[in-house]
Amino acid sequence: MIEVQQLRKQYGGLIAVRDVSFTARPGEIFGLLGPNGAGKTTTIGCISALLAPSSGEIRVMGHDVVHDAVAARRSLGVVPQELALYDDLSARENLAYWGGAQGLRGAKLRERIQAALDLTGLLDRAREPVKRFSGGMKRRLNFACGIVHRPQVLLLDEPTVGVDPQSRVRLLELVREQARSGACVLYTTHYMEEAESLCDRLGIIDHGRIIAQGTLRELRAMVGERDLLRLTGVFQPETVRQALACVEGVEILHADEGQLSLSMSDASHRLPVIFGALNGSEVRGTTLTQPSLESLFIKLTGTELRE
Amino acid sequence: MRFIWISAWKDLLRLRREPVALLTWIAIPTFVVIILTLVFGPGGSRPHGTLFIADEDGGIGAGMLASAFSQGALGQMLTIEKVGAEAGRRRLDRGEGSALLIVPPGFTASFIAARPVTLDLVRNPSQRILPDMIQESLAIMLDRAASFQGAGGSQALQLVTNVIPDKSEQPGGFAALLLPGALFMAIFFIAGALAADVWRERSSGALRRIATTPASLGAFLAGKLLASALVFSVIGAFGLLVARQLMNLRIANLPAAVLWIAASGCALYLLIMIVQSAASSERVASMLTNFVTLPLVMLGGGFVPFEWMPRKLATIGQWTPNGWCVIELRAVLAGEMRITAAAIVAAFITAAWLIGVRNIRRLAC
Repeated sequence: MIEVQQLRKQYGGLIAVRDVSFTARPGEIFGLLGPNGAGKTTTIGCISALLAPSSGEIRVMGHDVVHDAVAARRSLGVVPQELALYDDLSARENLAYWGGAQGLRGAKLRERIQAALDLTGLLDRAREPVKRFSGGMKRRLNFACGIVHRPQVLLLDEPTVGVDPQSRVRLLELVREQARSGACVLYTTHYMEEAESLCDRLGIIDHGRIIAQGTLRELRAMVGERDLLRLTGVFQPETVRQALACVEGVEILHADEGQLSLSMSDASHRLPVIFGALNGSEVRGTTLTQPSLESLFIKLTGTELRE
Repeated sequence: MRFIWISAWKDLLRLRREPVALLTWIAIPTFVVIILTLVFGPGGSRPHGTLFIADEDGGIGAGMLASAFSQGALGQMLTIEKVGAEAGRRRLDRGEGSALLIVPPGFTASFIAARPVTLDLVRNPSQRILPDMIQESLAIMLDRAASFQGAGGSQALQLVTNVIPDKSEQPGGFAALLLPGALFMAIFFIAGALAADVWRERSSGALRRIATTPASLGAFLAGKLLASALVFSVIGAFGLLVARQLMNLRIANLPAAVLWIAASGCALYLLIMIVQSAASSERVASMLTNFVTLPLVMLGGGFVPFEWMPRKLATIGQWTPNGWCVIELRAVLAGEMRITAAAIVAAFITAAWLIGVRNIRRLAC
């Protein structure tokens, strides 16, 4: 279990994480969704006792990470964004090293290494140097090194960055398996689809602050049953605002010279009316999205997640 | 404690998989030794050395001899330094001079009175040309003095030059001059390469990950030190044994010499690691290492032994960290164990380890 209360991390004048609070329970995948630089990695750094919080309280399986860091770390498994592996060692040697760092030894270590290799499908390549592995295999080994000691709490910091679709599906399934076996999983990502398909509960983080959190259903309810219509082209924001003010039920989420984001119900049937209102503008592209986290993020922050 | 060994084993395994870099760092000083031996080895010539004069007489005789050695071409090749007889022997043992001339009590009076007197000349066995020149020049001086005595007085002067061979006099003397510096050049280069690993581990995220485990960063660094110490021991033992076999190097105490190489190598490793971890990036760290290592290796007797350097440069070189290690290794090879030196290295390793752990923690975050 992870309990974060009013976490704040400050570097001089820069506040990287401000008053973040959430709880992740055993058997649950809690997602932290936000763009790059939102404060996800800093939050994970504080939870893993790598960074000292400026204020607030963090408990991992009941252990305060500041005052009882070693006990907290014993419950933790961390899968960092980077491939934290030794390329010139084999998969088995990497696992032996990271397992040893977690205090495993002897027959227990060997048994856990075997299980981790089996779980990640690397058993037949266990003796090969990691430098011969594909990117996807390295990602799986990176994951295996984080779970070799069967942690009660698993922290995953964007583990699928730069991974091919097939490996990503496999990795996500591995994460689900960890949660099913009772681990509390904290998963950070900036991929909406990943968060939607994987997480039981989510916190949406931007500029170091959690701006919304809840289950997927609860978050979607915040957007309502409204579609997201995104138009690209050449616009005059003020003119557009005036023109769309007369169209009933259309909410302007974002408007600039190159892009418009609109929220409305039943968008597909209302497109002619919208285009009619935007008669003076040059529309070059149209994207219509069903109610989603993306529309919620745009609604809450006024910007797209990948910006 | 167990993680120290796990961390060391990981580094040793990685070194075994990538031996080329290690061999390269050993090859450089090996080539330097080979080239220097071919150019300046036994039978070659040397541009500069030191003649110690122990004046136990206190008369004008020693002064006259000193000024005679300071004249002309000989004066350009020799620096004359007055020392006590015992201090002179010790320094000669450490290879700090070319020869020691002991002027006995009553020398001046005997010379004036034309009585037989004995001058002792102790030669540095690791040198050939300069001690030969000193001995030859001394013989000529004494011949001339005897002629002068014979012309000016009724009784012919009998002067005997007694050349005392040093106990270490043997064909491998040249190795004693070159090998310690070359060994520490290799150790310094390897220490730099091993220390750079911390930055590589930082870049890969391994350092960050290890900081999230229950294993302490102190044990992590201690493991790295242990692996480095083992590498330095193997290289040191191999280098010394090869030099003993091929160049007849005199090794008074092999285990002590190997231990000294391993311990002082660890100190050099930590020194470079601290310099590197203070850098803002891996590239800057690499530049800093080269900036620090190359001048220190040159000054510290790596490429050229102190005896061949201009005196002031040699003095500076002997006080560089690696230069000091070279001097102490020579002492150990000569059978002189210095507790103070061991204590200094132990204290440095402890302090540097503490600073290193702090720096690694900063890098990990």
